[in-house]
Amino acid sequence: MISSSKWIGPAVLAGMCLLPLPLGIYPQHVLIVSLFYVMMAASWNLLAGYTGQVSFGHAAMAGIGAYTSGILAAKAGVNPWVGVAAGTLLAALLGLGLGALCLKMGGIYLSLTTLAFSQILHIIIVNEYEVTRGTMGLQVPGLTAEYSKLTYYYILLAATVLVLFILYRMIHSNLGLSFRAVQNDETAARAVGVRVLHLRVLAFTVASAMAGFAGGLYGHYLLLITPEIPSLDLQFYVLAMTVIGGMGSFVGPIVGAFAINILAEKIRDYGEYHVLVFGLIALVVARFAPEGLTGVWRSLGRRRTP
Amino acid sequence: MLLEGRKISKRFGGVQALSEVDFHVEAGSITALIGPNGAGKTTLFNIVAGAIKPSSGQTVFEGREITGLPADEICRRGIARTFQIVRPFATMTCLENVLVAAVNRHPRRPRAALEPGARDLLAQVGLADLAGQEARHLNVVQKKLLELARALATEPRLLLLDEVLGGLNTQEILQAVEQIRRLRDRAGITILWIEHVMGAIMQAADRVIVLDQGRVLTAAPPREVVSDPRVIRAYLGE
Ligand SMILES: Nc1ncnc2c1ncn2[C@@H]1O[C@H](COP(=O)(O)OP(=O)(O)O)[C@@H](O)[C@H]1O
Ligand SMILES: [Mg+2]
Repeated sequence: MISSSKWIGPAVLAGMCLLPLPLGIYPQHVLIVSLFYVMMAASWNLLAGYTGQVSFGHAAMAGIGAYTSGILAAKAGVNPWVGVAAGTLLAALLGLGLGALCLKMGGIYLSLTTLAFSQILHIIIVNEYEVTRGTMGLQVPGLTAEYSKLTYYYILLAATVLVLFILYRMIHSNLGLSFRAVQNDETAARAVGVRVLHLRVLAFTVASAMAGFAGGLYGHYLLLITPEIPSLDLQFYVLAMTVIGGMGSFVGPIVGAFAINILAEKIRDYGEYHVLVFGLIALVVARFAPEGLTGVWRSLGRRRTP
Repeated sequence: MLLEGRKISKRFGGVQALSEVDFHVEAGSITALIGPNGAGKTTLFNIVAGAIKPSSGQTVFEGREITGLPADEICRRGIARTFQIVRPFATMTCLENVLVAAVNRHPRRPRAALEPGARDLLAQVGLADLAGQEARHLNVVQKKLLELARALATEPRLLLLDEVLGGLNTQEILQAVEQIRRLRDRAGITILWIEHVMGAIMQAADRVIVLDQGRVLTAAPPREVVSDPRVIRAYLGE
């Protein structure tokens, strides 16, 4: 693992660059959506996997990014890229505010507050029809003059690489040592001087910014922003992807996002039930393989090479 | 006086774990904290280290009150601890376990600058060869040693040791006692030490505080304590 880690990143990246070329429009679309979910799951994992705080407002933060950028572009003619930056910033500020407000209270409060936040945002979007076009959806311009799936794929890929790079650097820095210590044992981490609260507020702020960023780009890809982005359905998707892929591991949410999103496309015919199916899979994984798919893979590897 | 506890009480539901405990630790001393199982020793450590809050009473460190401060703040003030039931960072290597403490003591220094010191500490406790090994693969004795190295990496002025000799054989106990003495003599670290191995305490401690059923029974030099009929009764009555 350690010796292969040098080339595995570039190899995967090269593969990802070539992957869409032979594919048709539809599989390209599935890949683009998958990349959005990779950013969502990987950033949610920073908070949930590494600091043990469950936010139900991650999809809402993506919604903040999408609607901020979308409204600025559609109503004020702001350049979408500037809009995405604004959405990212707003999500970061909201993360910082909510985090500072409720992480001190610990445990369940962040979950409850973010759940409430997510619902309030949903209500606002649905009701402020004049601004948001409610459930009809807000039409927004694209990121580029010409609309091509391939261009979006590379934009989303670059964004995903950026997000993953930042997360990777965080996890492998001094800060990352502290993150992993908290993940292992909060009490012991505090006892050696880890500022657990600061760490969580930081993780929530960074994760929220990344969700805002991902949501902003995703909105300009879809060209139509609906309340389905800041929805609990999407939130549970992200949760299921992270849990099934492997919470608290770097690769876990990436694998989970691709696996679940592609699988979701395959079983779309079962309608509403597919959310239920993933919920059940996530429950089973959490119970029997808490380290997720990547954990199972690793332990298989250990068995093969003793 | 480095550490002082004033009328510390702690109640867990129906259990009165500590009742108005007054105690102090002299700077530069090795002070032992003994008493039968359930006397409240670990609870007192948890309160001093900020892992739990007392129901009432105060703790004062270097003349400043630290009661109720968060554990990480108390660590930064200069108090480090080991845990009776070991709590290493299981999925991190031994070196990383020690580095967590070091980078939080010196947040601005790059990791590379802190690594030699961390390796030194591992060598001091005899774990140099296991630096790259994940902590979960260690045996209990090694985990205890790792916790000691990790605590030292926070650069404490007061070190709280909770039954570090458990599981060691006679030879290892002698070495450990020697090592704890060196911490005080060379590094100038004051030590408050919960221990059941009386021989070790007799050898190393300057003063012994005896807790029984959440109260201080006596606090005196080791020789006086072992011949104190109240102490003997407390242990035999166990
Ligand atoms: N977190 C807790 N919750 C409830 N009771 C506790 C807790 N911690 C300790 N106690 C109780 O407090 C008493 C003192 O325990 P402890 O401080 O661990 O004793 P010692 O370390 O001297 O053996 C015991 O009766 C124990 O059961
Ligand atoms: Mg104890």
